[in-house]
Amino acid sequence: MPYHEFECSKCIPERKKHAVVKGPGEDLTHALPLGYLNTIPGSISERGCAYCGAKHVIGTPMKDVIHLSHGPVGCTYDTWQTKRYTSDNDNFQLKYTFASDVKEKHIVFGAEKVLKQNIIEAFKAFPEIKRMTIYQTCATALIGDDVDAIADEVMEEMPDVDIFVCNSPGFAGPSQSGGHHKINIAWIKKKVGTVEPKITGDYVINYVGEYNIQGDQEVMIDYFNRMGVQVLSTFTGNGSYDDLRAMHGAHLNVLECARSAEYICNELKVKYGIPRLDIEGFGFEPLSASLRKIGLFFGIEDRAQTIIDEETARWKPELDWYKERLKGKKVCLWPGGSKLWHWANVLHEEMGVDIVSVYTKFGHQGDMEKGIARCEVGALAFDDPNELEGLEAMMTLKPDIIFTGKRPGEVAKKIRVPYLNAHAYHNGPYKGYEGWVRFARDIYNAIYSPIHQLSNLDISNDEISIGTGFQTAKMLSDVNLSDEVVSSATLRQYTGKYDSVSDLRKKTYPEFKK
Amino acid sequence: MENLKEKVAQLEDYIMKKCLWQFHSRAWDRKTQNENILKKATQLLCDEPVELETPADRCYWADALSLTEGFRSRYEWLTAMSKEDIKLLMQGLKERIDFVTITGSLNAELTDPRY
Repeated sequence: MPYHEFECSKCIPERKKHAVVKGPGEDLTHALPLGYLNTIPGSISERGCAYCGAKHVIGTPMKDVIHLSHGPVGCTYDTWQTKRYTSDNDNFQLKYTFASDVKEKHIVFGAEKVLKQNIIEAFKAFPEIKRMTIYQTCATALIGDDVDAIADEVMEEMPDVDIFVCNSPGFAGPSQSGGHHKINIAWIKKKVGTVEPKITGDYVINYVGEYNIQGDQEVMIDYFNRMGVQVLSTFTGNGSYDDLRAMHGAHLNVLECARSAEYICNELKVKYGIPRLDIEGFGFEPLSASLRKIGLFFGIEDRAQTIIDEETARWKPELDWYKERLKGKKVCLWPGGSKLWHWANVLHEEMGVDIVSVYTKFGHQGDMEKGIARCEVGALAFDDPNELEGLEAMMTLKPDIIFTGKRPGEVAKKIRVPYLNAHAYHNGPYKGYEGWVRFARDIYNAIYSPIHQLSNLDISNDEISIGTGFQTAKMLSDVNLSDEVVSSATLRQYTGKYDSVSDLRKKTYPEFKK
Repeated sequence: MENLKEKVAQLEDYIMKKCLWQFHSRAWDRKTQNENILKKATQLLCDEPVELETPADRCYWADALSLTEGFRSRYEWLTAMSKEDIKLLMQGLKERIDFVTITGSLNAELTDPRY
């Protein structure tokens, strides 16, 4: 597995060990990209900072909490509403963002006083919310503000509120992953075990590393409810602050994310003896195996099988309609972290696409091990990409589509490569059986959109035909398909609703006898 | 011997593409995972009793059962093997998975004593 040197990064020779090509007959012991290191000066990274990782990725999906950044308003504003972690309480945590609005004078004279004023003001403005997380930022960490002391003062004066302090300023790690780590470990140390768990079922789990992007968590909770499994807490998407203080009461931790979410499970295992099962919510086969494993753990695998059979029968013909039309399409799978390994193999197997490259902005070497293990021979894998490397990879690999964040996604569009938002999704949720079909539909629509017939033209050079109309997506996608596939009575396009989540909130579930 | 190596390679490919349990974050975690899950998988493939005393045992067993079901559905040659040969095969697989994920791994974080 040779290291890969980008032409554009020859002037930054250290970059060479951050990229490899998966070669035939080679394995992970031949070469592995370096990871989770400080970005090399001169490389314009796509990473976020440790504050952003703590607040924007992990902390803020918690729904019944005032999330207050202690720092300049820009830290808060620039991370606000950039990710769609919805919630079933009218999206309180998405609608509002809070900052202590630190200015130059506070850097000179200290910002603790203004912080206390802001905490009290925020609680008074939203009297129904009694929980708060305060996020340290670079400026207030550097001047040495004691955020814990201020939080303690307020909790003494307002005994009905509880405050969690997250000490993860932007410089506290090479990337957002440093912030994930800090907030996760701090939550376990400071908050878990401080509330008595409300156990209502026979089979109780914590769902760890799930952030409810466009409703992912609610889709998975529906399956757990149908199995008669109580979800005591979700860390953190659509999760409740006090439920997460009671994580120690579960029988099992099911884990979907990586690295510091693993640390949470490992700590809960050491401190409270709760075991961990790694699961996957993306793709029919991994999801079915995951539901079955949870069922096996509790001895209720028949309930899992009922769901698997029902959902597969309902949605598989729709997934296969898209698979027929996506076979052989080249994909650059360029997410932030865990989706590189969640998706690498199952996209290939269940949608027929070829993953020609994987990258991770903030993943560790463990994420790369999983990602490279799961993609096919020939794929280019690289860590902490910069914009020029992304462009070079797209020019040479010529993907039909890339799955990435919105910043590199907009760059891709400029060179006429369609992209789907791997972080916040286009028309999610993407988890669950129906969600996986929604993802396939989004891929299909992106690749075969008629807009490319116009956007790919260079009006300064190309001849523009005005006498012919556009070809539709179906005309483009079906041109090489057999009649048997085109006129299949079983395969069909997505038939779900525009909003696949709201109805789940109204559902009632059967009570299971032990 | 070549035949055994080829079979181990097929099972390794399945584990690498379909499973996550072999990639825990530290070397000691991986050692425990590989040991327990592959031991239980061997017992299941050889129709031997599997210990299910503790919640941790049930987790290893759930992963092992999922693994053996995957093996059986994909590799028909498994059904024709004797129990002794299966044990030999699984021993070879364990050595190979340990090598790729622990002893031969280039992941510098595996031996980091702190999170």
